[in-house]
Amino acid sequence: MKQTQHNLVFNITEGIGHLELNHPPANQMTAEFFYEFNELVDELRVMKGLKAIVISSRGRHFSSGANLDELLEQAVIPGERNHPEINENWNTISEKNSRSFLFFEEMEIPVIAAIRGVCIGSAFEFALFSHFRFCGEDAVFGNPETTFNLIPGLGGIRKIAALCGQAKAIELLLKGNTFGAQEAQLNHLVDKIVPRRKVVEFSMAFARKVMKNYKKQKASLYLQQISLDDPFYI
Amino acid sequence: MIDKKITDDIGILILENPPQNYLQKPEFIPVPELMEWVEGNHLKALVISGSGRHFSGGAKLDSIFAMAEAGESMEGWMEKGKELLDYLQDLNIPVAAAISGVCFGGGLEIALACHMRICSENALFAFPETNLGLMPGLGGTFRLGERISLQDSLKMILGGDMINADEALSLKVVDTVVKNEEPLLYTFHFLRKITEGRPLKIINYVMQALKNSKRLSAEESMREETRMFCDLARIESDRRKNANP
Repeated sequence: MKQTQHNLVFNITEGIGHLELNHPPANQMTAEFFYEFNELVDELRVMKGLKAIVISSRGRHFSSGANLDELLEQAVIPGERNHPEINENWNTISEKNSRSFLFFEEMEIPVIAAIRGVCIGSAFEFALFSHFRFCGEDAVFGNPETTFNLIPGLGGIRKIAALCGQAKAIELLLKGNTFGAQEAQLNHLVDKIVPRRKVVEFSMAFARKVMKNYKKQKASLYLQQISLDDPFYI
Repeated sequence: MIDKKITDDIGILILENPPQNYLQKPEFIPVPELMEWVEGNHLKALVISGSGRHFSGGAKLDSIFAMAEAGESMEGWMEKGKELLDYLQDLNIPVAAAISGVCFGGGLEIALACHMRICSENALFAFPETNLGLMPGLGGTFRLGERISLQDSLKMILGGDMINADEALSLKVVDTVVKNEEPLLYTFHFLRKITEGRPLKIINYVMQALKNSKRLSAEESMREETRMFCDLARIESDRRKNANP
């Protein structure tokens, strides 16, 4: 783990890798964030012994998503930034970010997103690549990109359609509205709503339970087995 | 046979052969005509509905037999019908079916080719073809199979079973059941709400990305999504610069 990382923290306890976005309150996914994020993913690609991953954020919110001005700037010209690698053509950076997201989908160990507060735009796209999503009752989701004359560009469209179906995906993407935990759950975009202060704890307990002999294809079965009333979790 | 109307950049297609709106031929509107209408008018969405109480009872048996007797051209007619449904499914604007009353056979095939289906509480759906010694001929078997389980598909297609609005909703044959409102009006307002203020290019890209997600590999569809995103980012960036020089 690099000492210079500011935007992300990653710790392993009993085989569970806990990835935390670390720039509260907004935990914005800036160019610097993505640089650190991609570096971490490269480390994870070759890391051994990980049994599960839980993703959450420090502070009130998961993340407000990417920095719009930065996105637009980088799409036009390779920006001059502190990190020389970010002088690449935007296509390459964006593809790299997408590929990092895809990494989490492709992991054979359980990947769980523990979401509190705001989780919109690129942040929501990121969360959709997890195998499971648990959130607090206060969570707010959405892909408002079309309201800025853009579209989600990091693979979220494919994920959202797979979870909520074509008709609902068309509606949510074109309207670009935000919505709460209940509506997210109704549309299968989030798996379970738990008390916000317990989301990370719940996710960790869930990770411990399913990481033994985890079969990714059977993910939905694991969800049927869990219950909020189970004292194991609270 | 088809009534066309445009309001607020939304195209409204009405199958016009009341009361049952039987389809006289599979290609209920020629693709070139539809294409010109959609593209020429820069439509942002399309809704298809039936005139009066019903969506469509499908093809009339005598039409089918007449086609069969005409011999050489039957496969050609069917091919054109399939091309029309493929065109609707592939359109890069939302296409919705607004269904009340009966939606059988070829009518159901049309509805299944749309991106979304909204129906009234009294709607009824069926593939009665096998009862008549036939089978859905315009891709309906395939499209139904994409949406619901094999078991339920077989019940509908082999058994000719009819399902009502509630069953259709739970099977996801339809996306929404509207109460106390005409499906056409509801659907029109819904489409207008989701497309108003959205440039056509944005709508096109969202629909294209959704199509890609089903037809391309994860990596390919993501790469295309990024490419479209960057295109839009450049346009938006220019727009902002011109607005604030």
